[in-house]
Amino acid sequence: MTAPQGFSEIRLIDPFEIHVGPAYGAGEIPQRRYAFRVAAHHCNLRGVAHGGMLMTFADLALGQAVWDVTDKAPSVTLNMQTHFIAPAREGDLVEVRPELTRRTRSMVFMRGDFTVDGEIVMTAQSVWKLLGQD
Amino acid sequence: MTAPGLPADAENISAAGFNKFTGPFYRLSDDGDVRRFAFVALDKHMNGSGTVHGGLLMTFADISMGRTSRLVSGAKSCSTVALNCDFVGPGRLGDVIESRVRATRQTRTLVFLSAELSAPGRIVMTATGLWKIMP
Repeated sequence: MTAPQGFSEIRLIDPFEIHVGPAYGAGEIPQRRYAFRVAAHHCNLRGVAHGGMLMTFADLALGQAVWDVTDKAPSVTLNMQTHFIAPAREGDLVEVRPELTRRTRSMVFMRGDFTVDGEIVMTAQSVWKLLGQD
Repeated sequence: MTAPGLPADAENISAAGFNKFTGPFYRLSDDGDVRRFAFVALDKHMNGSGTVHGGLLMTFADISMGRTSRLVSGAKSCSTVALNCDFVGPGRLGDVIESRVRATRQTRTLVFLSAELSAPGRIVMTATGLWKIMP
């Protein structure tokens, strides 16, 4: 699969992300954007992207953004809240520009509006624990 | 055919699409009003630090809670509107991870659900969510 215009494929490490990938990135920190293209195997029987795939991409993209703002500090997801606003369909490019809400010594609060052709399909916010920081 | 560690009557509920691509996932027998589901953590489910990836756990929560929304409402199709997941503890390779799902309330158009995902002896995730019954 070739990267969408302006994006390049990002190097994934987690076996599950490699399994569901590829994913793409564009731009420089802190304006960096992430994207994936909905393939047939990402969809459910109704022909729309499975919520599990959208949440997996949210975890991937917001996690990349946490790396971006912490210079790759090890972290884990504590909580993720997701709202499914509209369906994404096979062939759609789902994009997000993650927004840092707040960083404390031990936690990062990150959110994102996930869009297809400029229309929001999902919003997600997650709380991350920076490992080794009490 | 069921996976090792699962009861013989476990029903594979991942026949097609993303469920099949990331599964298999199984439905187990009900425990009263609790609907039960399970999967075995495989290599493809892991993250780089050797625990089950959060995206896969949220996928399993969505699948088990979405299936329960259809079971309790009798609807052919329900859509996830909102899902809130707390990552309580790690899942590990080979774990049988079970999801126990309860319907909190059902209205004409909506189902409110909660789920607890656990490996033997420890909670992995708690989740609450809202499903829309599709006409």
